[in-house]
Amino acid sequence: MTQTAKAAIPEKPVRMTQAEKIERLKTQWTETERVILRRRSVRLYKKAQVPEFMVKRILEAGRFAPSAGNCQPWKFVVVREPEIIDGITETVIGICKTFRAVLDYRRPGFSWLRPLAKAFIRLRHSDLHPVPFGAINLIADRRLGLYHGAPTVVFIFKDVRGVSSPELDCGIAGQNMVLAAHSMGLGTCWVGFAKLAFERTDEWRKRLNIEYPYKFGSSLAIGWPRGRPDGMIERQTHPVDWYENGRKTVYC
Amino acid sequence: MARFSVLEKILVPTYDDPNEMTPGQVAFDYEKCGGCSLCVQACPADTLLFEDKKPYLKPPGKNECMACADCVAICPEGAIRLTRGYRFTKYFKTIDHGELRGPRLCADE
Repeated sequence: MTQTAKAAIPEKPVRMTQAEKIERLKTQWTETERVILRRRSVRLYKKAQVPEFMVKRILEAGRFAPSAGNCQPWKFVVVREPEIIDGITETVIGICKTFRAVLDYRRPGFSWLRPLAKAFIRLRHSDLHPVPFGAINLIADRRLGLYHGAPTVVFIFKDVRGVSSPELDCGIAGQNMVLAAHSMGLGTCWVGFAKLAFERTDEWRKRLNIEYPYKFGSSLAIGWPRGRPDGMIERQTHPVDWYENGRKTVYC
Repeated sequence: MARFSVLEKILVPTYDDPNEMTPGQVAFDYEKCGGCSLCVQACPADTLLFEDKKPYLKPPGKNECMACADCVAICPEGAIRLTRGYRFTKYFKTIDHGELRGPRLCADE
């Protein structure tokens, strides 16, 4: 074990002084930053399967994520069976159709539903935020896929007994895996909508043997991208309050 | 002054009212566009149309752009630009969202 670990450590790079390192940073991104900044959610995949060892490497990136109290409150489930991936997708489509029938007041002739739907939206504000509300409609219409034809899906289940916020820890582990995958030239997409298939029915919990203390956290589509979806884009800045030297400034 | 009034904390916007929901917006440079349709296929909101081998943003009322810029990134010709982020009101009022900027090296001082 020790030997493999040793063998994996790369040779030391040419020594640079800290000042030199800082000078270089002023003009170029690090390799890691480049992966972070170029990562886009990929929704177009090739059919070709991802080599098994690459998926295992991605799982390693998840395994070494930081977690509260080092409690590692996660269970990863790799699914490379189209029948399961498609089955979960069909279940989610069915549930989205039901949700739409009950909640979508935007359909002609359904404006009477608005106050009721709005009360429900306010109650479940994060699940029924305008973006997922639109997505429910798109998924029900099959205009938005769930896994987009990705040949590998990693499900992240959280151990509800985890320290502090197990869901957050699962998010950290998941993003580690996402960044590792993109650094290998793969594409990924976070797919939270699969929650419906695990929380609104027990079919898939039973099928994948998910029981207490595990609960659905999120899932990741992984595959070879079609086209070149990764790249830098523009995005909103967010004001950052900055306290230093006895005063507050706002950095945007 | 509080950022949210009591009503804003209680009421959710009407999802099909353009006064309460402003979707994102992208602009196409049709001189550069090669008509490959990758942007249309990549759009998670199904909000791009493909007609006469060119992409178009769906008209107001049908536009559900969430300004993810996946289309911008996938375009092999660099022909798409994000021109506006989304903006919601009332309970989902968009706050602390500034201008659209690319990644910055932040080394200019």
